[in-house]
Parts: sequence; C-alpha cells; structure tokens
Amino acid sequence: MSEYVIDINSLTKIYQTGKTDFKALNNVTLKIRKGDFVAIMGPSGSGKSTLMNIIGCLDRPTSGTVIIDGENISIVSDNELAEIRGRKIGFIFQKFNLIPTMTALKNIALPMVFLGGTKADRDQRAAELLGKVGLTNWATHRPSELSGGQQQRIAIARALSNNPSIILADEPTGNLDTKTGEQIMELLVALNKEGKTILLVTHAIALKRFANRVINMLDGEVSEES
Amino acid sequence: MIKDIFVMGLEAMKSYKIRTFLTLIGVIIGVASVIMVTTAGGSVSSFIAEQWNVFNPTGMVIGTGTGGATPQLSIRSVVFTTNDVEKIQNLPYVKTVAPLGVVPLNKILKRDGFLKWESRPGDIMYASTPALLEILNLNLEEGTMFEEGKNEVVISKNVAEVFGKDKPLHVGDMIYLRRVDSKTLEAKVVGILKESSTANMFNALSTPGIICPTKPYYSSYFGSNVGTILKRVVAYTVLLAEATDTKNVQNAQDQILKYLDSGGSDANQYKDQNSDFVVITQQYILVRIEQVLSVIRTYITAIALISLLIGAIGIANIMFATVTERTREIGTMMAIGAKRRDILQLFLYQSTIIGLLGGLIGCILGASGSWFVVDLLNKNIQNLGGAFSTGTIQLAYAPEWFLIASIVGILIGIAAGVLPARKAAKMDPVVALRYE
Repeated sequence: MSEYVIDINSLTKIYQTGKTDFKALNNVTLKIRKGDFVAIMGPSGSGKSTLMNIIGCLDRPTSGTVIIDGENISIVSDNELAEIRGRKIGFIFQKFNLIPTMTALKNIALPMVFLGGTKADRDQRAAELLGKVGLTNWATHRPSELSGGQQQRIAIARALSNNPSIILADEPTGNLDTKTGEQIMELLVALNKEGKTILLVTHAIALKRFANRVINMLDGEVSEES
Repeated sequence: MIKDIFVMGLEAMKSYKIRTFLTLIGVIIGVASVIMVTTAGGSVSSFIAEQWNVFNPTGMVIGTGTGGATPQLSIRSVVFTTNDVEKIQNLPYVKTVAPLGVVPLNKILKRDGFLKWESRPGDIMYASTPALLEILNLNLEEGTMFEEGKNEVVISKNVAEVFGKDKPLHVGDMIYLRRVDSKTLEAKVVGILKESSTANMFNALSTPGIICPTKPYYSSYFGSNVGTILKRVVAYTVLLAEATDTKNVQNAQDQILKYLDSGGSDANQYKDQNSDFVVITQQYILVRIEQVLSVIRTYITAIALISLLIGAIGIANIMFATVTERTREIGTMMAIGAKRRDILQLFLYQSTIIGLLGGLIGCILGASGSWFVVDLLNKNIQNLGGAFSTGTIQLAYAPEWFLIASIVGILIGIAAGVLPARKAAKMDPVVALRYE
C-alpha cells in the first residue's frame, strides 16, 4: 500500500466538445497523505472541478493513473467505481444536495442503503452522526424545514455515514453566511483532527487558513504553495 | 437492499401525491374498462344466446327465403301443406315436425256476467299441432292439449293474465277471439303453458301467446289458403322440426331440403319461383349469433385496450418528467454510492407500483362497474317490454380477465417505466450533479 491516500501520476483529462478537444487537466501529478487538509484553489475553468470529479470517482482519467486509497480507478467497472465512491469518498456540496423527500435521518442513512446492511444498524449509525453534527432533535425534519447551515451539517453527517477515508468538499460554505460558514469549516477541521483526509475546493481565499496544504490550479495544471 | 429501494420508491411517490394519483387514474380507468367491457359483454352475450335458444339443440325452422351460405328466412308466403308435414314426418332423420300458421288477432274478449273485458289489439295466435310443444320444449302447467277440429286453445301465462293479474283465466273458461278479418270465434281454454325458464319462440316472438288447432281457427282464415279456385288447400308459412339426435341435424336438414326441392312436394309447387327453401337450425342460429357477438366483443375490447395503452403512455410521460426533474437527486445518489442498477430499480419500482395498484383498484372498480352496467341494462330491458322482458342478464364475471387486466397493469407499469428508468440510470453523474 502506497503511503498516499490519493496518488495521482501524469493525469490528463481531455473533453471532446464537438470537434475540438479541451484539455481540462494536463499532466497532473499530485500526492496526498492520509490526514492532509488540502485546499484546491483556482479560478473557474482552471480544472479544479474536473480534478475533484476524478478524485471523487465520478469521472475517469483520459490518461495517467489515479489511485484512491489503494484502488486504481482507471481499470475498474462502473459498479466497482460506484462501490469505491460509496465506501471511500464522502461528498459535501455547495448546494447541500439533500434528497428533499427524505427526512434528515434518512438522508444520512442513504449512502449505507446502497452498501447494504440492516436497517437497525443504519438507523443507529445515522442517529449517532446526527448527534455528532448537533441536530439530534431534527431527525424527522425534511430539508425544506431546515436552515442552510443545518442542511450542510446533515450533508456532512451523510458524507461520514460509510466512514470514508476522504472527504471532498466542493465550496461547502458557498451558499452560507460567513458565520455559519465558519462553523461548517470548524466541523471540517474537527473531522480532519480525527484523521479524515479533507479536500476543499474553493474560490474563497479566506478559507486557505484552515488547510495545511494549498494547491493552486490554472489552465489544467497544478502548483503548490509552500 | 431491494426492499430499501422499494420503500424509497414508495416514499417518493407519497411525496408526489397528486402526480401519483393522476397517473394511477389513467391505469385504473384502463383496467376497469377492460373488466367492464369483458364482463358486461360476456353477460350480454350469454343473455342473447339464451334468448335465441328457441329450440332444442336438434331443432330447426323450415321456411322460404334466400338460401346459400348465410340463409335468410322471410316469413311471407304460405306454402307448406298438411301433405308436406306428413311427408317430412316420415323422413328417417326427422323425429317430429309441426306446422305453424299465423292468425293475427284484433281482440281477446271474455264475458263475465254482464261485464266484458277486452285485451289490447295486435296479439298473434299460432295454429299448430300438439307436436309443437315437444319441439319448443313447452309444458302444460294445467289442463290438456287441444284437439284438432274443436274450439279449444292453449294459452301462455301471459295470456292468462291478459284481463289483469287479479282476474286470471282458468282451464275451462270460454273466451272469444276476434281475428283481423273481424270474425269472432269462441274458444275454450283447455290448457295453460308452464312459464319456461329459458326464453322460447312464444315469448320471443309474441307476448302473449295462444296456440290453436288449424281447424276451425286457421283453416277459415283468408290468409291460409293456396292453390286455384277449384282446389284450395290450407298451407303454413313455416314448419318447425327436430332431428332424431344432435349428430343427425345436418342429415335431417339435407333430407328435408331434398324432399322440398323435389317435384313431389306441394310446397315446391306453391312457392314463389324466386325464393328458395331455407332450413335454419338451432346450431346455425347460435353459431351466427356467436359470430356477431364476438365481433362486437372484439371491437369493445380493443377500445378498452386502447385506454389501457393511454394509461401506459401516462405512466411513461410522468416518469420521464419525474426523472428529468430529479436529475440532480440522481446525480447526488450516484455520488454517494448508488449503482446504476439501484437507480434503475428505484424508478422501475415506482412505475410498477403504479401499474400494480392501478390494476388492483381497476379490477375492483371494474367489477362494481360491470354490476352497475348490467343492472342498468336489465332495467332498460324491462322498459323495452315485449320480446325480451322475460329474461334478465346474469352477471357473468370472467375471472381470466381479472388476471389478464392485473398482469397487463403490472406489465404496463414495468414497460412504461423501463425507458425513463434507463434514462435515469444512464446519466453521467458529473452532468447530473451540475443540473439546475
């Protein structure tokens, strides 16, 4: 097993848009250790979303190797990719992306449903996580009945439900006010202290201070701030 | 896990109550109309077949008209003589034959002390022989059959009550029959027919019914004679006959036609040159009726199936809309570990549940609907009066159609859900997540 939880070598991603090819990622090599808190920064179109999607196993590289927690995602099937995603990655989105028809508890339990297990175990784990994000009393509420900050906490709890090694947070504070955003960031920092590897994709320079590594992206290439 | 995804599908449907309900209605109407059409159609079919169950299975009617593959009887001219009746009776495959002469009546009268009641005009009396009862499966409830040449008649239950239910005619009563030629003939009621459980020619063709001997009622009637002035003979419009058994119906028919078409028959001499002899058997009547009914049944079943198809299109339509609307949710589910199969199942379960529920509710609604339709038809039949007022349509559920309709409901749910569910399952999670 590699010492890196994310081990990217010479990653290139080319999108075909009509007749012209667009090189979203150009020969990216990036290695992230377990327990790192990495901020990935860069303007729109710099390739940070593409990098996120590939690390998140939502997309596959055109060339190069990407090894996520020991799994080479270039060579696995769609089903295996979904399985890796479910087990190893916890997603946090800018718009929270909770399922509106489900209660908070059921949203948290959803990733566990796709991996199997008994309902009793899932409900117990979801209730624990609900407590961890401080929303025990909101278990039966639907997302529309929750504030933005509360929704993002539910989303964080959901990201943790399969106990993944990597948390991918894509502009997690983008739809929140500053104060609430700070609270969410503190929650992420706490998770990092528990050993989770955290990748934070953001425009907001103010969030750099929470990370121990800052990666800048521009035109599909990465450079690291020291 | 399948159960969990099933429950998720159910919960999603619960969240979209109105949408689910409207989609359900489409399937319910489709399934219910299939059930109603097949049940009502089947019930009416057996009713009509019963109404036309005029004879025994060996029975047939002999007359003139147009022959060929689809023979048609036209009851116009009197051609069959007593001699013909005797000759046909002697054919090997013929068991019994009875003539039928029509005596239109103006009125039925009865003297009761100083009072005299009259029935409504337009009733028809049939002149025949006692053999008629056997051929038409009629029985006497009381009294005896008339004797040829005597002023005696046998009447149906309906005629017995022609002067009112409270003043019924009894065996031994004297009545007066005024023919359309204004001649009034005295008649003694010697027998009353048992009301037959199935419809027969006598309540199918005319209510009430009176059967009389040829002499004196028919032989003296101007419409019964054929021949020249020098040699006038009594003749009948139609003959009713029975074959010896069901296997020999065709043989009896062939023999009768062969005899009639030969130079030896009186009827051949008296019939119109342009018309043919026609023998219509009970078997033929039933086959023809079944042919007509099956065309009607096929037609209405096709309409019902079209409404089921519309229900299916409704499901597909709503599922496509739902899939599109929930694109970002689908992307999210994929991001948190849902496999394509999970997404496919999620949407397929929803459409299957709609199909199943719609099928079940449709069956229940269709069953009660057909009861209602048959009840309504029966009321209309009573209002029709006359020929058909004797029978009621029995509700005849066709269990196989309940099964077919439910299975079709589920299949439609699955079929209509496959394309939308596949669309959902094939989504690129990256694109789906970005969907606004």
